[in-house]
Amino acid sequence: MFNAQDVPLEKIDDVRWRIPKSFKPGMRVPGLIYADEKLLKDIRRDKALEQVANVAFLPGIVNASLAMPDIHWGYGFPIGGVATTDIEAGGVVSPGGVGFDINCGVRLVKTNLQYDDIKEKIKDLTYALFSDVPAGVGTKGDIRVTAKEEKQILVKGSKWAVEQGFGTEEDLECTEENGAIEGANPEAVSERAYERGRAQAGTLGSGNHFLEVQVIDQLYSRDLCDEFGLDVGQVMVMIHSGSRGFGYQICEDYVKSMMPSLTKYGINIPDRQLVCAPVNSPEAKLYLGAMRCAANYAWNNRQCLMHLARQTFERVLGTSWQKMGMQLIYDVAHNIAKIEKYEVEGKMKLLCVHRKGATRAFGPGNPALPERYKQTGQPVIIPGDMGRNSYLLVGTKKAEEETFGSTCHGAGRVKSRTASARSTDLHTLLKELESQGIIVKASGRATVVEEAPAAYKDVNDVVNVVHNAGLAKRVCRMRPVGVIKG
Amino acid sequence: MAEQDTLNVKVVGPTPTWPNKLLKKNYEVFEHTADIGLRVRGKDLQELFVNAGLAIFQISSRKQFTKSKIHANIQIKLKAENLENLFVDWLNELLSLSQAKGLIFHGIKIQSLVENSLEAVAVGSDIANYKVNTEIKAATYHELKINHDEQGYQAEVILDV
Repeated sequence: MFNAQDVPLEKIDDVRWRIPKSFKPGMRVPGLIYADEKLLKDIRRDKALEQVANVAFLPGIVNASLAMPDIHWGYGFPIGGVATTDIEAGGVVSPGGVGFDINCGVRLVKTNLQYDDIKEKIKDLTYALFSDVPAGVGTKGDIRVTAKEEKQILVKGSKWAVEQGFGTEEDLECTEENGAIEGANPEAVSERAYERGRAQAGTLGSGNHFLEVQVIDQLYSRDLCDEFGLDVGQVMVMIHSGSRGFGYQICEDYVKSMMPSLTKYGINIPDRQLVCAPVNSPEAKLYLGAMRCAANYAWNNRQCLMHLARQTFERVLGTSWQKMGMQLIYDVAHNIAKIEKYEVEGKMKLLCVHRKGATRAFGPGNPALPERYKQTGQPVIIPGDMGRNSYLLVGTKKAEEETFGSTCHGAGRVKSRTASARSTDLHTLLKELESQGIIVKASGRATVVEEAPAAYKDVNDVVNVVHNAGLAKRVCRMRPVGVIKG
Repeated sequence: MAEQDTLNVKVVGPTPTWPNKLLKKNYEVFEHTADIGLRVRGKDLQELFVNAGLAIFQISSRKQFTKSKIHANIQIKLKAENLENLFVDWLNELLSLSQAKGLIFHGIKIQSLVENSLEAVAVGSDIANYKVNTEIKAATYHELKINHDEQGYQAEVILDV
């Protein structure tokens, strides 16, 4: 039986740990883990560290196989990892390094409402959101799309929703890649993926996906909060969802079709779920074309979900969303592979950055950022569990230099779903949350107990590490008041 | 043929009546931090595939209603490089068809399973009749194991949820 304690770790400083290259023959680079002593205890409980070492086998991997403090055991790649490969040096892309839920991500919407103004209406608002936003397993959306429209969504991303009147140009500006990454190739998408995706446009999904009404409970930088127009007590909306069945099918199709690439390109990896192909190969190009379709599908999905949330706020509070100041702060992807340029050993190189449970965190002045965030750096949104907190941070130059512009993505699981369900009583949990002023509405009992706060690490610990390591800077913290789960 | 139109699948005859019971002793769920581990047994390879196919729906859904009479028998044909790949492909095909067609599969007949090729019929009922608790995104190759001894076959697979 494998013992997670066996993975050797060298302490670099209080928040950085190295798995030496010598741990496993075949590792091309060391592993680099961002964590403190407290989080490491949890991390060592499962096989996440071994997975960090396995990722270091990928051809063309640059610097290190990186792991963020929210890292946990995944299926192949760890969740909370960043793997970057040098395209010119035969670097690979791996569908498993993005995962099944392609462009799973989060968006944060602000309002000009104060908690005290809507305190009495939180229950109505939460119930109304639950009834208006399709959530749950296999749910079909109210926003129905034809086969032709679905194809447009894959190329246009969120712009499709905006063209339907489900949002504004400003929303696009405040979305990573403006809500549509270039290079989407609908021809690389299987019929089955189209079929799985069609029914699910504008649906939240289940599991850890959610829509939350939150309230800012702590400011960390008065200047940054002023820039974003945020203050204590302000009501916010956070949406966490992805590309639904459409993305799952694309990952599945390409994990399967890439298997022969291992022999073809002589790639040696310790786990078949890490299957990959050189970025410049025909196999990888097809995958990237399809993956970008799923990424655009997901951005459009979150745009549609935000539209539904704005409509619900209008219905319940009786005024327009514009008057309530429901502006999108930002939308970030946390399961994606991107082609980005970085300096490696003094040379500018085109790299393939896999962020699997990791968020892009570009610093001030980065050309990819819209004008409004050029000074602040890119907004980074970190959701926590339903009982504790979520965060708004900004990206940093240091993240660009050290982690290919990446930081953590959430709290990270510490308990399995089965263990969480076993140790959680639904009614006790709901009562406890209600006593803390948190209303939860979910389509299934199972989701609530599997997603109980105790199943997660404390997001405050995770954010402390990335803040202290300089991979993102804290702006403000929110606490949930209304939670919609699938 | 209304059913066929609604489901857009190839319906091959009426709901079959072959017995297809999944016994509790033939499957169990094991711990994995983010996902679900599934251990399945069968007296032979065919039974292993049937039990695994039924188990993924048994652990994620429960029949609760009889709102809809829609059902379909779907023909599945798969070919893979080796047995492990065929096993993962099989589970993924069932999960994918379930979501694409809006069906929960509760009956499986393996017609042939030779040299890493599989032909089977899966029987599904409208998902509207079920309470689905967990969305299984896919079966993975991570730590996949298929073993056999004189008792029969056993497989372990991690499901992404």
